[in-house]
Amino acid sequence: MSTRLGYGALGILLALATWEALGRAVGAERFAPPSAVLPVYLDLLRDGQMLRELAGSLRQMLVGYAAACAVGLPLGVAMGRSRLFDALLHPWLSMLVVTSVAALVPLFILVFGTGFWFRAAIVFAATIWYVMLTIYHGSRGVEPRYLDVGRSFGASRWRTFHAVLLPALYPYVITSMRIGLVHAIRAMVVAEMFIIVGFGGLIYRSGLELSTAPLLALLVTLMIVGVAANAVLRRSARAVAPWYEERVAGAGGARI
Amino acid sequence: MRRLHSAGLTVLSIAAGLLIWEIAAHDVPRVVFAPPSAVLKRLAADTISGTLPAALLASLGHLTLGYLLAVAVAIPLGFAIGRNAKVAAMADPIINAVYAVPPVATVPFILLWFGLFFEARVALVFLMSFFEILVTVSAGTRNVDPSLIAAGRAFGAGRARLVTRVMLPASLPFVFAALRVGLVRAINAMITAELFFAAVNLGALMKQSAQRFDTAGLLAVIVLLCLVGLAAQEGLKALEARLLPWHVRR
Repeated sequence: MSTRLGYGALGILLALATWEALGRAVGAERFAPPSAVLPVYLDLLRDGQMLRELAGSLRQMLVGYAAACAVGLPLGVAMGRSRLFDALLHPWLSMLVVTSVAALVPLFILVFGTGFWFRAAIVFAATIWYVMLTIYHGSRGVEPRYLDVGRSFGASRWRTFHAVLLPALYPYVITSMRIGLVHAIRAMVVAEMFIIVGFGGLIYRSGLELSTAPLLALLVTLMIVGVAANAVLRRSARAVAPWYEERVAGAGGARI
Repeated sequence: MRRLHSAGLTVLSIAAGLLIWEIAAHDVPRVVFAPPSAVLKRLAADTISGTLPAALLASLGHLTLGYLLAVAVAIPLGFAIGRNAKVAAMADPIINAVYAVPPVATVPFILLWFGLFFEARVALVFLMSFFEILVTVSAGTRNVDPSLIAAGRAFGAGRARLVTRVMLPASLPFVFAALRVGLVRAINAMITAELFFAAVNLGALMKQSAQRFDTAGLLAVIVLLCLVGLAAQEGLKALEARLLPWHVRR
């Protein structure tokens, strides 16, 4: 474990060194090295505008994301456990999951305008299909043995769902939410860069500056948000379903 | 019989969905949301007149080049990362961090390095499919069933034979999964690039329709893209079933 962490740290150091060397070779106006990004990043933090825009954008994203999870998770479970729901919803799911978010943006602008509902709706439309698809595969894979045990102990349909199926689904709920979040953040950036508002707008405008340091600082901020949100979801997974890590680790095999 | 039954339900579900959409769109002004009948009419008219096929054909250039470049780089790299514990331990935090950045956020960089036209579109297609393929291949190759490798060793296979005869075939399902996910992402990137850089092909058609508040035109392009994505995905699935008959899901 600690050697793994050591290699991880070594990898990050190597990547930073490569970035620094590359940045110095091509210059800050084309690709700023970390030594140039860090002071700009601290300035942006102190200035406060970046964090204000980020908070505003994330708030709108969370509305769309929460709605996508609230609708997508039950629908995905229903599809996974009922052949009727599967046959009814699957064609729509397959069609909509391959649809590009960017292609929806011009249409959604005509329908919703460019305000709060536009951004929430884009995030919703980009996220829900991935949430549904992930939980669908998870709920199809629940061990039939678990359900058999419940049945032989005389559990009712509701009790089987509540006491057997639901706990077996927790790991997949968290996985679905993690995959959904990646798509929610992507959709937020696509929508905001298209109409140049919020954090995405900030990214778009920073592309016009002479140095690429502010642009890279904004990308690093997005990176931190994504990694931190993932870590929080992983943590909560461990709290609600301690067997989650084992499940995930169980999927990993040996290497030569 | 059961298959037939579910195929019937599929048709029924699509018909019901289109009917609901038709009725819902009936009472709202055409500029706000077009009904499916108008979209289908538009799709047919623009296909016959050649506008849509020509735009799609022109888009295939940057799609193909960007996707092939991503495949050529990401698959060997994914294997290298997946099969070497040390390299994987070093690469994992970096891949996780870079993967957390939405590829569209790199658009200002692409503008700076590659301009507004063909090269920029190829670069975005490359970036958007590259990481998806890399992540899938490296996760897949590290999950090769150890008992297969043990069996190969027990039969006296050396390292080279182990790689070509055991690991490569065992990883092929993941390679195919990666190709599939990567291609869908590449198609998404294709239209994203046409909307974010200089508007051309399908992207230009969408922008013109948006300026005229023509939702039927917009939806016709979206439906076309959706069909292209589905066809690409199902085509690769069919190819996988043909080439890897030992691994067919469901």
